[in-house]
Amino acid sequence: MKLHVDGRQVEVAAGATLLDAVRAAGLALPTLCHDDRLTTAASCRTCLVEVTGRGPAAACSTPAEDGLRIAVEASRAIRRDALQAIVAGLPARALDIPADRSELARQCADYGVSAPAGSAVPPERGVDHSHPYVKLDRDLCIACGRCVRACAEIQGTFALTLVGRGAGTVVGPGTGGPWAESDCVSCGACVDTCPTGALSEPGLLNLLPIERQTRTTCGYCGVGCSLEVSTRDNLIMTVRPAGEGSVNRGHACVKGRFAHGFLGSAERLTTPLIRRNGTLAPATWDEAAGYVAARLTGIRDTGPDGFALISSARATNEENYLAQKFARALMGTNNVDNCARLCHAPSAAGLAATFGLGGGTNPFDDLDRCDAILLAGANPTAAHPVVGSRIFQRVMDGARLVVVDPRRTSLARHADIHLRPRPGTNVAVFNGLAHVLAREGLVDTAFLEAHTSGYDGLLGLLGDYPPERVAGISGVPADDLVRAAVMYGQALAPAIFYGLGVTEHLHGTDGVRTLSNLALLRGAVGPGAGGGVNPLRGQNNVQGASDMGALPDLLPGYQKVLDPAARARCAEAWRADVPQRPGLRIPQMFSAARGGVLKALWVIGEDVLATDPDSTSVRAALTACPLVICNDLFLSPTAAAADVVFPVAAWLEKDGTFVNFDRRFQRVRAAVAPPAGVRTDFAVLHAVAARMGADLGCATPAEAMAECAAVAPLFGGISHSRLDRDGPLHWPCGSADSPGTPRLYQDRFATPDGLAHLAARPYLPPGEHCDEAFPYLLITGRRDAHYNSGSMTRRTDNLRLLARETLDVGPGDAAALGLNDGDPVQLGSRHGTAVLRARITDEVEPGQVFAAFHFPGAAVNSLTSSVEDEVTGCPEYKLTAVRLSGLG
Amino acid sequence: MQEPRAGRPGAEPDGRRDRNNDDPFLRYAGRFGRPIGDVANMLRSSRAAPAEIARTLGLPAAAVEGPASFFADFSAPRGARHVRVCTAAACFAAAGGTHVAEVEAALGVETGSRSADGSVSIQAVRCLGYCFSGPAALDGVDAYAGPGLAAQLRGSSPRTAPPIPVYCDSPVPVVTAGLLGASPPWSVWPGVAAAGTPEDVLGRVEAAQLRGRGGAGFRAAAKWRAALEHPAPRVVVANGDEGDPGSYADRLLMEQDPHRVLEGLALACFAVRAATGIVFVRSEYPHAAARLRDALREARAAGYLGPDAAGSGVSLEVHVVEGAGSYVSGEETALLNGLEGLRGVVRPRPPFPTGRGLHGRPTVVNNVETLCAVPWIVQHGGPAYAALGTADEAGTVLASLSERFLRPGAYEVEIGTPVRRIVEDLGGGLRGGATLRALQIGGPLGGFLGPGDLDVPLSDAALSRHGAALGHAGIVAFDDRFSGGQVLRNLWDFAAAESCGQCSPCRVGAWRGRALSEQPDDPDISRERGDVLRTMAAGSLCAFGRRVPAAVRSLARVYGLEGWPP
Repeated sequence: MKLHVDGRQVEVAAGATLLDAVRAAGLALPTLCHDDRLTTAASCRTCLVEVTGRGPAAACSTPAEDGLRIAVEASRAIRRDALQAIVAGLPARALDIPADRSELARQCADYGVSAPAGSAVPPERGVDHSHPYVKLDRDLCIACGRCVRACAEIQGTFALTLVGRGAGTVVGPGTGGPWAESDCVSCGACVDTCPTGALSEPGLLNLLPIERQTRTTCGYCGVGCSLEVSTRDNLIMTVRPAGEGSVNRGHACVKGRFAHGFLGSAERLTTPLIRRNGTLAPATWDEAAGYVAARLTGIRDTGPDGFALISSARATNEENYLAQKFARALMGTNNVDNCARLCHAPSAAGLAATFGLGGGTNPFDDLDRCDAILLAGANPTAAHPVVGSRIFQRVMDGARLVVVDPRRTSLARHADIHLRPRPGTNVAVFNGLAHVLAREGLVDTAFLEAHTSGYDGLLGLLGDYPPERVAGISGVPADDLVRAAVMYGQALAPAIFYGLGVTEHLHGTDGVRTLSNLALLRGAVGPGAGGGVNPLRGQNNVQGASDMGALPDLLPGYQKVLDPAARARCAEAWRADVPQRPGLRIPQMFSAARGGVLKALWVIGEDVLATDPDSTSVRAALTACPLVICNDLFLSPTAAAADVVFPVAAWLEKDGTFVNFDRRFQRVRAAVAPPAGVRTDFAVLHAVAARMGADLGCATPAEAMAECAAVAPLFGGISHSRLDRDGPLHWPCGSADSPGTPRLYQDRFATPDGLAHLAARPYLPPGEHCDEAFPYLLITGRRDAHYNSGSMTRRTDNLRLLARETLDVGPGDAAALGLNDGDPVQLGSRHGTAVLRARITDEVEPGQVFAAFHFPGAAVNSLTSSVEDEVTGCPEYKLTAVRLSGLG
Repeated sequence: MQEPRAGRPGAEPDGRRDRNNDDPFLRYAGRFGRPIGDVANMLRSSRAAPAEIARTLGLPAAAVEGPASFFADFSAPRGARHVRVCTAAACFAAAGGTHVAEVEAALGVETGSRSADGSVSIQAVRCLGYCFSGPAALDGVDAYAGPGLAAQLRGSSPRTAPPIPVYCDSPVPVVTAGLLGASPPWSVWPGVAAAGTPEDVLGRVEAAQLRGRGGAGFRAAAKWRAALEHPAPRVVVANGDEGDPGSYADRLLMEQDPHRVLEGLALACFAVRAATGIVFVRSEYPHAAARLRDALREARAAGYLGPDAAGSGVSLEVHVVEGAGSYVSGEETALLNGLEGLRGVVRPRPPFPTGRGLHGRPTVVNNVETLCAVPWIVQHGGPAYAALGTADEAGTVLASLSERFLRPGAYEVEIGTPVRRIVEDLGGGLRGGATLRALQIGGPLGGFLGPGDLDVPLSDAALSRHGAALGHAGIVAFDDRFSGGQVLRNLWDFAAAESCGQCSPCRVGAWRGRALSEQPDDPDISRERGDVLRTMAAGSLCAFGRRVPAAVRSLARVYGLEGWPP
């Protein structure tokens, strides 16, 4: 379509609006009620333009038509009137809001609109500051409804509505009372889209302008949201999601968006600590680094395998790279692992065995093309909120949703089919779904023929998994199982997303493999169509930590330690031999410590006492180990049990890269300087190495990335300068001219024979069983307001959103136990005890209870067992037999 | 690897979907099968809090809180006895607004509140359709009207609620054909159902040049044809949200000849091949809704409606839906929002309802009076109707004369009948020899005529030239007891109370215009008033905000108010 805008001819696509045409002409209009991401309201009337022969029309909502003539400059007066009309309904201070946070102020400045004469003063409606983060000033509200639509159409919570009518129209929480008691999940989308500052946040309530903005990547979960951090005087004013963020597209969650207050916590460690006479005492950096260097030198010289290092999924790639290099090149041991062991080691193993590489198969953007989603063992609404929102929106747009989860999560409530298997029976359910696909003729035989092996073997096994038998094992009704398989099987482009509910089991790797079978049977991965198989990684850089080789059997870029060529490549770059034998996994490290074999354990940025299973045994390991070194922001339980503690910088204070859950390298940049006395993990490793008389090379994070690219063919084309210039890159990215590989296996799978390997894995019972003494099943997981051990989020106002851990109990069980909401409950497992307050909810099935582990006082992981995935050693967090008794 | 096969229609890789601009709450309810259309009924029938109703319906609390706080019937405090008192133009003209204070005194409670013991509450409403006999009130669903309203409500004088006087001054009664005994109901539809074609019905209405009588004056047949360009299923809505103070024509038809409304609706549905018809009745007309429901039952029992309606072989289901107190609900997009369970605010157009209306279906919204002309047109042919009225505006209109007239009532007149004939010959001039000071024609979106303007023909074109509009042909007479300022404030009170708040020019302008009308005249205030009128007229989303300024200007002209720029 061709239109004339101020005499200039512009061309726009079908479906375009006059606003698109005006923009195509390089002109701008005020659009106070419009956000390109949201449906159109056309209510503010500030984008009115003159259409020749028709009069004024709202550009945002009027469809473009061939041949229309639009006068933009000549119609400035109508828009000025519209702006003036809006300002006339506001107090004069509306235009005192700094332009950096008020679209209205910017447009009024542009159009020369000033505060009204004040002859008709609008009635005051006051503020609602009840919520810790979202602050409403009703008197600045222009009832444009952007916040309402953002909450619905971006976040998907539907917490807000316009209330009242006429001049009284104003945004309010749908629950009617104060904002703090509403359905708001504190994602900040409403604040971000508000054009006037009516919705604001603590850091923007003062009227000082923003001084500096830094683009970085979120350091909470593994989604990898791009964030724009605004600062003033080295203090964070606001953290806003970057509009062009490749994963988050201008959205974020309560953690990344708001939970940065921990940076300034009085509990931040600012000096190293050394245990002297049984107590940790402040020491200088020189003392601490020197002490550690001396002890490690002794171990290196006598028995390098007496040293082990737990690297951090929270730290940057560059820090992880340097940490594994420290262990391998400097200490001479492969005893390095990271907490992926505790969550997605079965993914790495299972996906690699099936497809060839240990990462998710597809870019998250493929979600937008899929027509059915199978979500298994994941509650992204709480644990990966931006992913949860985007899945929800895709489902709103019509994609079918099948949820496999024992809990009735938010997405399960919106699922077309919700399968609720008994914990520990995933493999039976996935085999049952595969059975139905085969039985109903829903397998893509051409794809299987061309791209897979093992179909015959699988078919043989599947005969044992008819829906009725699976129903008996899992408790999932046979009909539901059939409907779910047909829904997934009939979709044109189905996608699988899964989480720790699949991996954290005795047979977690089997779970990953049998789930992957489904995508292969449908030809919905790799060279086929569809959205593949995608693990939702838990931590900001848990993908990267493994990518960088912080694994006992794998070097950077998933090169096997056992591969002499790979060792040689590293040895050349590192100018040191690489030990030939794979090292210890995290659970083996603890066991070696308890056995007296391990002489020193360095834990970087992980609170193993709070987050690893069977904490009693972990404590025994730390006690037995002669030297425990810990890097942390705070004196975590693990730090408190260490012999040396290094105070280190947080993600907002350092430079480097993270890799998110869909293999995307993204830049991390320091938005603020760390507190005095605090160093980055990168600097700590260098300092200790230097005191050991060694040079780790890689003076800067950029140089570390460059060296990693040189030794790891998967990352050969990754560099800081390229990421700065081109934006995120998906690995594999083998050379500087490779565009990266968002979608894996374009032509063939990455296994040696190029075929994906279907797995015929039988259902085997879980490691923990209920009996008369322990009749309930405890599931653990995350809640939305907190993050893992809670060491960061508990030191922010997120504590006002969720102040303590609870035990979720179904109404029937609560009644049987005589529990009321909030009553204390004693939990006992075969491994330990804990006391939690009951939260009565229909989210859990009868006989099952749920708790998170964000509060150390709750000691939930003293209950969990040491049962591990038989392939990878990943703990069976997702099911523990417990008994409950009321303490009321 | 090949690109993943296309997902569902609208799936785009860059996340820009083929924009479904439907309200997100509606999309939510549609996708997850939650009965959002029940929200208004639940709010009407249940005492539960909005959040509780939302839980019952499986909806977000906001889906209920929004409508609950928007519609006056839901937001007004309610006692065991709930009295709705009219404060609109005709009742104001009848009693000068004093009746409100009298009723408050009689019932011992202020307007907009509930007595401490919860026994009684008063809600100010704008028009109950008793303009011929004001002031009026509804006690529950029982109407009280006329002098001594407060005493009636107190029980100290007998209740009066006279029927609407009906007259016909047209050469033939068209919409009043049934009321005046000229034509029994359902005398047309069975024949059409048996032997007619949709195109035939449409062709007759087209030849009749029938225009919408709700105010906008759009050609009915053009609307029908527009809907037919879009795929079925289609819907026809009979708009019985007669909110214009001064008009009670639709109330008359719905209460006294409901079968004609249904027959017109059936013919319209047949013409546009719609299987669903809805009669939307404002809540201020409870008797009309009850009569329509009775008529619907009778029509179904007689086989005129239902599966195989009147033997036509097509199914035709009709529903009666009540409003909840909002003038703007008469605007078709706001009406549809209300029907769908949303806040009754205006939607931007396009898309037009004929393309994308109720639940996304092509939807024709026709005013009740418009539909009531259809049986006559089909029976007598388009040319017979087109022969009535003026060359540009065919047919008749049911003019409503207010209480100040000597002979108030509903008069079916040809379009183009001189206002003077209506006012003086039919209405008999003002009662008690009072002096006519102004006529409000066409409600708050219409305009005012002075005593010197009476030779204007009653047609939209002619009235427009005098700054007025035909609207719904309500004619409210003001005698000289009131100043222009008083009448103006009553008009602004209406605008401020009924602006839906969706678009900024009207949301702010209606409030501001009211506030500025209370300020003493001075040049700065005049300039601000001019700003309000200009921005409302130029920028408002719907006819409400766009037309109120014209009404204000014509009022200022008639009363010679200096402080309001022409």
